Formats: sequence, structure tokens, C-alpha cells
Amino acid sequence: MSATAHLAIQNVTRQFMVNSRIITALQDVSLSVAAGEFVTIVGASGCGKSTLLRLGAGLDTGHQGEIRHRGEPVRGASLERGIVFQEPRLFPWLTVERNVALGLENAAVSKADKKRLVDEHLELVGLTGFAKAYPHQLSGGMAQRAGIARGLVNRPDVLFLDEPFGALDAITKAHLQGELQSIWSREKITMILVTHDVDEAVFLGDRVVVMSPRPGRIREIVPVDLPRPRDRTSAAFATVRAHVLQSLNGTTSARDPRPTPADATPVLPRPAPAIAVAR
Amino acid sequence: MAVLTVTEVHAAGGAPRVWRKRTMRGLTALLLPAALLLLWWTASDRGWLAEQILPHPVYVFEALRDMLASGDLVYHVGVSLRRVLIGFAIGACLGLALGIAMGLSERVEDYVKPLFLAFAQIPTLGWIPLLMLLVGIGETLKIIVITKGALVPMTLNTFAGIRNVSPRYLEVADALRFTRWQRLRLVILPAAIPFVFTGIRYGLTHAWTSLVGVELLASSEGLGYLLVWGRQMFWLDTVIIAMLAIGVVGFIMDGGLNRTERLIQRWKRSEI
Repeated sequence: MSATAHLAIQNVTRQFMVNSRIITALQDVSLSVAAGEFVTIVGASGCGKSTLLRLGAGLDTGHQGEIRHRGEPVRGASLERGIVFQEPRLFPWLTVERNVALGLENAAVSKADKKRLVDEHLELVGLTGFAKAYPHQLSGGMAQRAGIARGLVNRPDVLFLDEPFGALDAITKAHLQGELQSIWSREKITMILVTHDVDEAVFLGDRVVVMSPRPGRIREIVPVDLPRPRDRTSAAFATVRAHVLQSLNGTTSARDPRPTPADATPVLPRPAPAIAVAR
Repeated sequence: MAVLTVTEVHAAGGAPRVWRKRTMRGLTALLLPAALLLLWWTASDRGWLAEQILPHPVYVFEALRDMLASGDLVYHVGVSLRRVLIGFAIGACLGLALGIAMGLSERVEDYVKPLFLAFAQIPTLGWIPLLMLLVGIGETLKIIVITKGALVPMTLNTFAGIRNVSPRYLEVADALRFTRWQRLRLVILPAAIPFVFTGIRYGLTHAWTSLVGVELLASSEGLGYLLVWGRQMFWLDTVIIAMLAIGVVGFIMDGGLNRTERLIQRWKRSEI
């Protein structure tokens, strides 16, 4: 709500040493996110989008440049910044309820409040009946919902989502995108979502950040001025999507013609699926 | 409630079938022992091996009955079991502590692991001559040898378990700002449990091996002693009974371990 950006990423560069070669995952990236905004980041594999997300969340701190959250420099993870990973990463030895409650493990709330908050968030993601189930008893979509509940339960100021629906089938994915959008509009939590799915980026984002690889940079920021909930079949939606796609195509074909997975993967700290967004 | 529903759906149609399958598997497990017994019986009946070397199953059975009636067998099993349990308990606790310490701290690993690995390479029985001179041939010797047998696999497996905790889980712990204790209690230890159980299982096997070894060399009671005594006196029935007793006790212990492991890891899909 303030005039200064809620989350300010300024001239951030991140380099990794891979086989004694320096690889620049991010080069001079700047991005400001307003409070309550939904920003989506889209790009081909190796464009540093996940790196940027991890830096924003404070899970990685080896960068040059500055990242500030509400004016405070980000120097590590914080309960103010939640994260949802691509895989749900639930602990298989805990029930769904206990997994979600982990988000409150270090929050200053009473035991009764904890219970209430967990129940509320299970309801929010539609898992009320599965509180006592173990993760292996859930489908992929249900497990990811539990992961989202764990990220939300502490009411973070910003929620970072790293390709949260990447591993799901199309129907479950569309359904969860809708649910995430309604949670966002109800709860007014700032959300930053990384994806390689242009459709998802346009459907969810107030702005779509298009990134280009090697080195990872922001190519364009596309505002999406469409009313919510958005109709994926509308002409206006198609226009924005075409714009983003075109921008993305430029990122992979202009500079070096064919990104090879072998080149692209080592840039990220963990292996990312090599998915060619453009052909 | 949902958990119940899930299992009920699985079990509802198949309860009798599950039972039949379990019975079948139990019977299948008996087939091989039965075949061996039959082979043994035939071999003895036909005189394929001299009776001094392979006594007839009936003799062995009679000897077993006598040893049970006189309480001898129970006594020797008791003596050995006590040694194994004490030695194993000490070895497992030390191994768990050492494995956790080395797993959590690279400094401890750097200080301790090279020596430990060298120490582990020396066979348990190789320690006996030196230990005999240091502590004599009493109970202490046996307990120390068994402790060493259990300690090595327990330490190495616990260490591996702690080092193998997925970095993805640890990242979740970071994101949720877990304290060191929360990391250990909520993430590292539960994730390492399967390895720890492998360590317990190997540790127990090694404890038995060490027990028999040390009793062979220096004991006047216990199952290892029975083996040596039986061989020296050419009482092969006694030897076979001692071997069977070790096998049966080990089998029961392993079963108990399995149950405990399954109880602790209820979250794993139970195999039907």
C-alpha cells in the first residue's frame, strides 16, 4: 500500500561456480512488487527464474545487488516470506494436519489458535477430511494443496511459488489455479509465482515478467489488465498470451538459436526440467 | 477418519483373500525347511553320511527333548541371550550417538571417522587376544566383544542415514526457520529411521556372530560353548541343537524388530 515497493529487487546478479566455470544465473535483474500484487515470472529453463525466487524468499543469499522486503534487506529465510515448492515436499512421516502445522512451529500463537488456524487452512484448500491422512495417501493435487496450506498458514506477507502446478495434470492444474486465485483475492497476500506455462502466467498475474536465459535477465514485463476471474478463451486473453509468447520466443531464438538442456541445467542449483517453451 | 476410509475401501472386498494369502505365504515359508528335513531324514536312513557326522533327526529330537526337560538348553540360551542383549544395547546406544554426532558435525567426522573406519576393519575376533590380556576371560570380555560387533554397523548406518536426509526437506526446514533442535527432531531423525533400523538389524546379527566367536574361545556356558563342547565330544546332536537355537532366537528377534519398525513407521504404506 505504501509508495515504496513492497518487495524491491535491485540490480541483482547471481553467479554459480559449475565445474570451475562461472555461470551467471541472473544478471542485473530489477523488479518491484507492490503489496497485494500477483506477479508471475515466466521463462525457458535456465533463465534463472527459480534462482530469482529463491533469492527473494531468502533461501539463497549469495547475490550481488539488493533485495528488500518492506524496506528491510533480505538476509535469509523469514516467516514473513512463505514458499511453495514445485514438489509438495510434505514430510511423509507426519499427517497432513501436522505437516501444515509445521508452518506455525515457530509462530507466536497459542496451541488452541494453532489448531484453529490449521483447520481453517485445510478447509481453505479443501482438505478438511484428510487432516489425519499421511502424504502417501494423497493424490498429487491434494499433496500440493497441503503444501500451499503449509505456505499460507503462517499468513506470510509474501508467498513465493516455484512452479507449484508444474507436475500436475491439466485438469487438476486449472482447478488449483482457480483456487489459488480466489485465495489470493480473498486474503490479499502478495504472491510471486514462477512458471514455464504461459497460460498460467497470464491467467494469474497482474503482471507477467518474461525472462530470457544465459545470462538470466528480465526481457519484458507485460501488464495483464483483464478483469478476474479471467476467461482463458476470450480474445483479450489470447492477445496478452500471444504477446507473452512472442516475447518468450525472442528470448530463445535471437541470441543463441538452440538452448541445449546440458547448457541450461547447471545454471540452477538443482536440476530443472529442460522444457523448451519456444521452438 | 479419512485414513480409516482409505484402508477400509482397500480391505473391505479383500479381507478373506488377504488372510488366505497370508496363510499361503506362511505355509510357503515352511516348504524349504520341510524339504531339508526330509533330505536329512533320507540321508540318515540311507546312511549317506556316517552317523557320527550326521545324527538321525530322531536322535536330535530326543536330545532336544532331554535338554529341554533338564533345563540345560534354556539355561544356555538364557546366558547367551543376556550377553547379546547387554552388549547389543551398549553398542547400539554408543553407535547411535556416535553416528548422529558424526552425521551432524563435520568436525566430529574429521576427528573420529578415519580412526573409526580403521577400527572397524579389524575383525571383532581379532580383538580377543588383546582384550583377554586386558580384562581377562570373564563376562566383561564377552560384553566388550559383542558391543564392538554391534557398534560398527550401528554407527555407520546411522551416519549414512543422517547424511542422506534429502536437502529438499532441509530446505523446507530452513524456509520455516526451524531451530537446530526442531531440525533434528522433526526432519533429520525421522528421515534417518530406516537407516537406523538397518543398523540395528546388522548390529544384532554381528552381536550374535561375535557372541558365538567369543564363547567358542572363552566360555563355559552359552550356545557358543555348546557348539565347541559338542564338537569336541562328537555330540553332533548337541551341535545341531545349538545351531537351531541360535537360528530360532535370531529369527524371533528379527521378527520383533520388523514389528517395531513398522510400528514406528506407520506412515509408510503397509504392504498386504
